[in-house]
Amino acid sequence: MKNKPLQHTIGVVVSAASLALPALAPAQVSTPGLGAPDKEQAERGHPAKRPYSPYAGRDFPTRPFFGDTHLHTAYSMDAGAFGARLGPRDAYRFARGEEVTASSGQPVKLSRPLDFLVVADHSDNMGFFPDLFAGKPEVLADPTGRKWYNMIQSGKGADAAIEIIVAFSQGTFPKDLMYFPGTRAYRSAWQETIAAAEAYNEPGRFTAFIGYEWTSNTGGNNLHRNVIFRDNGDKASQVEPFTVYPPMGSDNPRALWKWMAAYEEKTGGNVLAIAHNGNLSNGTMFPIIESFTGQPVDRVYVEQRAKWERLYEATQTKGDGEAHPFLSPNDEFANFERWDKGNLDGSVAKKKEMLEFEYARSALKTGLKLEQELGTNPYKFGLIGSSDAHNGLSALEEENFFGKTTPQEPSAHRMTTAFFENDKSGVKVMDWEVSASGYAAVWARENTRASLWDAMQRKETYATTGPRMMVRFFGGWDFESKDAQSRTPAVIGYTKGVPMGGDLQDAPAGKAPTFLVAALRDPIGANLDRVQIVKGWLDAKGQAQERVYDVVWGDADKRKPGADGKLPPVGSTVDVANATWTNTIGDPELITVWKDPDFDAKHPAFYYARVLEIPTPRWTAYDAKRLGAKPLTGTSMTLQERAYTSPIWYTPEQ
Amino acid sequence: MPAFLSALLREPLVHFVVLGAALFAVYGALDRDRADAPVAIVVSRGQIEHLTIGFSRVWQRLPTAGELDQLIRDHIREEVYYREAIAMGLDRDDTVIRRRLRQKLEFVSEDIAALAEPSDGDLQAFLSSQPERFRTEPRFTFTHVYLNPERHGDRLAGDAAVLLARLKTAGARADVSTLGDRFLLPTSFDSVSGSEIGRQFGEPFARAVDDLAPGEWHGPVESGYGVHLVLVSARTEGRLPALEEVRDAVRREWENAQREKVNEALYQRLLARYMVIIEQPKAAGAGDNPIGIAER
Repeated sequence: MKNKPLQHTIGVVVSAASLALPALAPAQVSTPGLGAPDKEQAERGHPAKRPYSPYAGRDFPTRPFFGDTHLHTAYSMDAGAFGARLGPRDAYRFARGEEVTASSGQPVKLSRPLDFLVVADHSDNMGFFPDLFAGKPEVLADPTGRKWYNMIQSGKGADAAIEIIVAFSQGTFPKDLMYFPGTRAYRSAWQETIAAAEAYNEPGRFTAFIGYEWTSNTGGNNLHRNVIFRDNGDKASQVEPFTVYPPMGSDNPRALWKWMAAYEEKTGGNVLAIAHNGNLSNGTMFPIIESFTGQPVDRVYVEQRAKWERLYEATQTKGDGEAHPFLSPNDEFANFERWDKGNLDGSVAKKKEMLEFEYARSALKTGLKLEQELGTNPYKFGLIGSSDAHNGLSALEEENFFGKTTPQEPSAHRMTTAFFENDKSGVKVMDWEVSASGYAAVWARENTRASLWDAMQRKETYATTGPRMMVRFFGGWDFESKDAQSRTPAVIGYTKGVPMGGDLQDAPAGKAPTFLVAALRDPIGANLDRVQIVKGWLDAKGQAQERVYDVVWGDADKRKPGADGKLPPVGSTVDVANATWTNTIGDPELITVWKDPDFDAKHPAFYYARVLEIPTPRWTAYDAKRLGAKPLTGTSMTLQERAYTSPIWYTPEQ
Repeated sequence: MPAFLSALLREPLVHFVVLGAALFAVYGALDRDRADAPVAIVVSRGQIEHLTIGFSRVWQRLPTAGELDQLIRDHIREEVYYREAIAMGLDRDDTVIRRRLRQKLEFVSEDIAALAEPSDGDLQAFLSSQPERFRTEPRFTFTHVYLNPERHGDRLAGDAAVLLARLKTAGARADVSTLGDRFLLPTSFDSVSGSEIGRQFGEPFARAVDDLAPGEWHGPVESGYGVHLVLVSARTEGRLPALEEVRDAVRREWENAQREKVNEALYQRLLARYMVIIEQPKAAGAGDNPIGIAER
């Protein structure tokens, strides 16, 4: 029985590995996972003899890569309008650890580099930029062009620029240097976005993904998706991003999926889409009834959604999207960085009945129900966090938070102004409510576009609200408590189970799922309060249920659950006035094996881990201390940062 | 009437000119009321081709006749609104439009800067001017034994000392697989860079490892997680690379520096074409000139 989950792991590894082959014919690549494994993959799939050294031949990921899949630059029209000046190149440089000057004129640098970044500017109105020398060979053929070229080469670029600008304004720009008939020489911002990613992508050290955001927002209801390319510029530059406005675009995700399919079919490339901010969708992000038709979602919808939307962005600057206290009244940690007043533009206030279709945990439950009806779970997504910052700066640490937009870069007044306000609906969100969150953690074998993308596709990811804690989560049937004492928990995890994002099937008679979960705090961050496992399932009546289990916690020698089964709070060392805390409570590392005590093999279920840090100062506390800003009444000044892993699903035999 | 005048009036050319002038006057009057005199919007073949290419780049196929018709109609609608809006001056005093135009003009200078081809000499000079930026990192092969402060409490220092003594005795071949406490990161690392160690253990630990003499056990070394006993078995020194090894990175950074330089120089040149007059607000203090532009 032991190799049941192992075989499943192999399936995942093989499908991911087949994607890693660069030279497959387009037809093969367009059906990910179906390519025949090569010799190396086949051998990896059958590790008949494990070598003595636990590290020899180790081909599983040894550390998570941290990044941001959702960063806007000045190329996004709204970001530019807010005053963002940094473009994609600046954004990549900053993420790689360089110091840059923010649009507000302040120097800024990350505490440590990110491993990857997706510049995801809005595809609508991305626009065209002048490309005066589009046909570079012609530059030299034209006498004026040659003169300018020589000036540029001899370091007089600014002089050449002035002459060129004057030539344009006086209508004397050489006609031979312009391209399209009937148009000026322009190139799309998309091509420059690609060029920036190509320039800063450095396999093994830093991955600059090509991507964009499709920003469906009809009626102010957020149905946004970020589209991420596995491919390099040669393929990505064959397309223009999908937009929302007709006649070229559409606000319906079904149309986006068609665009994705057309891209893959034509180029042999691969793309995936990540939705975000269900909390601002007013009940339309995870529908049972499609908002576009008023009809129940059908088989095509659930299959396409499951195929193209493998991940969900569960936390970001515009609020946390894991759980909501109305939906999870027994979860004392559900009320975190909550943005639930209305839709994205605040035009329509929130109603309680919308919440069920907005939050990740609730959607995971809805997915189990829809799978019963339609045979496919449309909401079987893994979790990541990202920023959605609009200033080209993926700076999400509480003590180095550069805000969501340029006006929200550090200043003495950024805590006291309104982010948006709608008099008609009464919806008002203050700038202090903007969340310094989050990042995406990806368990990939190497830091390359292909390896990271494949890990996203197999959902071996987790979300963090900013800190870089390391979280392992494996499910299987045979984990024992001594596995948590192992020196090499990852080896045991991959051998006896499936990692986060995986599936459990074929429950052995009399057995319940077991989980090996481990968390190590950010090396420069706060200790851990606890690790929880969140379970959702369908009961005998087909009703969705959920429960949160505390499975391992810090200060365990003196911290025991009370008679009500509740674990006492970890306490707090935060000195708000000085914006400090100490790691004198909690633990740096937590690990355990947990067995579902309430398992019924007939009921489909999902399990994911939630890791909580001890309380630390929120960005508002650092602002108050460093800038002397006076917080408004009601401003949150502390928080418990956290991580959410992708779930592991249990599906009963049909 | 003088004879020459009557002769002139019989000239067909003069009739034509007079008639033309009259027509011109009538049209001129009509043109003041533009509703009566349609202005041409020409959707050129080139523009249709442009729309078609745009569509096929999004959808990876050509538009159908109906789709192309839609694209053209939408283009016309946009052109009508665009022209009317410009005529009304709606482009003025709009922050979004102003910023967008500024961005586009900045892009002109970036585009021009991108045309500059660095010579090897340029790149070598750039590399030599800031060699530390391109220095390869030292790499370390090391093994460590972790002690979790939660498990040792007050005995941490003593336990570490005892363990260190044992390790020193066993030397480089010590079997560490059962020593110390369980730890989620690997026990041994093969040729990893200092920055990678810093990312996984914290910067202070990486700096400490850099200071350890290879070949023997040291400790306790503190990390973000607790204390470690560390054996560096090999280290490769960082060095200044030759241009060929780091050409891509040097070129990228050189281009970035060019981009910033040309942008700023262009702005200064453009600014020099203007006389900037800043009227002081009534309440403003004297000598307060935060943007450094001469007041006139």
